[in-house]
Amino acid sequence: MFSNSLDELINKLRKYFSYIVVSEIMNQNVFKMKKDRTMWQAKELMRIRKISGVPIVDDSNILIGLVSIEDIIVALENKTIKDKIESHMTKKVVTLSPKENLESVIRKFERYPYGRFPVVTEEKELVGIVTKKDVLRSILERFRMIYVHDERRTKTLERFIEIQEKSLITGEYVKKGHADFAFLINYTDVDMAGMGAAKLKSFLSKKIGDDKLARRISITAYEAEVNVVIHSSSEGFIYCWINEDVIRVRIEDHGKGIENVELALKEGYTTAPDHIRELGFGAGMGLPNMRRYSDKMVVMSEAGKGVVVEMIFYRNGEE
Amino acid sequence: MKLKEIIQKTHLEEVYCNDKEVKITNGYTGDLLSDVMGNAPDNSVWVTIQSHVNIIAVASIRDIKAIILCNNLEFDKETIAKARENNISLLSSKYNGFQTIFNLFNAGFEISDR
Repeated sequence: MFSNSLDELINKLRKYFSYIVVSEIMNQNVFKMKKDRTMWQAKELMRIRKISGVPIVDDSNILIGLVSIEDIIVALENKTIKDKIESHMTKKVVTLSPKENLESVIRKFERYPYGRFPVVTEEKELVGIVTKKDVLRSILERFRMIYVHDERRTKTLERFIEIQEKSLITGEYVKKGHADFAFLINYTDVDMAGMGAAKLKSFLSKKIGDDKLARRISITAYEAEVNVVIHSSSEGFIYCWINEDVIRVRIEDHGKGIENVELALKEGYTTAPDHIRELGFGAGMGLPNMRRYSDKMVVMSEAGKGVVVEMIFYRNGEE
Repeated sequence: MKLKEIIQKTHLEEVYCNDKEVKITNGYTGDLLSDVMGNAPDNSVWVTIQSHVNIIAVASIRDIKAIILCNNLEFDKETIAKARENNISLLSSKYNGFQTIFNLFNAGFEISDR
């Protein structure tokens, strides 16, 4: 029913919005996988992320296939679910180009029985994905944008830049390009959660020669990293700056954000869904652990605008 | 207590052992990763029913030396591979958590730090 009313709405609006192109509506945060992963892992990603298809890419991010729910069902029936993706994925994938207009996207949704289309460049590089929901959302956003006053928009943008470049705790300017440690968090693979924190730990142990402090810092980084993977639905970064008397850690993402930061800081409060909690995550102790093990912490977030966590550790402090 | 003695005396199955001479001085039990992350003591043995690969990240950051998986559950393949990389020993117990810790106590395991 949802799908029918959606079709109807899209039909009515299509002629007014046909100048919109794919690059504006596509979702750039694509859950993708490499071909050497297994069908089982693809199934887990689809289950945990509630998605119905995973684009498969090679090492240079070139699209080489797609695993759909149908492919998973076939793999389960044939008992090939533990095999590598490569031999069981759909190799002929209908794609969109970033320049294609909305009219053509809607025609493709009509012609093919697929729920999503990967977006690729001329060189077949995967740059996004478009679902029917993305189409609707972009149309609604268009409507809203018309009413946003210019001045207000400028102000918001200025504030955003300030947050991006200024320390939330001390107000100094922090240059991310000059961070001593930076790690890109892979939010598409729950198995990888904690990798960045583990790397940070061995990096710090070597660099500062204080194992206890290195552990304290990496515990907080672990919690923040897991939060990005489980909650944000976006990529994130771990940054670390080492100064003479203080170590600064900042974890940020551009995802869903925290609706109520105060609640999130409460021990035991969690919004993690059951299937995530089964894995032992979502104890409601992430932010409380960060507060406990850092010397100073600031969390900044708004629903839909991502999360920035900044923490400071004094080098001569006690645990 | 040395890891070697723990394995011998408490009916545990060795899944992957890195260093059996390592001294285990304390322990922790829990299935919530952040709880273990926040509270487990140094040089611990960790008694749990979580078997997926993220337990290795927790153990290596928290300096946990060995993980005992209870109830005859099996470690994921990726978990064993990561344990090798990070020098974490993996043991499996056919008993539940309570009985596993009880067996450790009966074998003379003592909390020897602090």
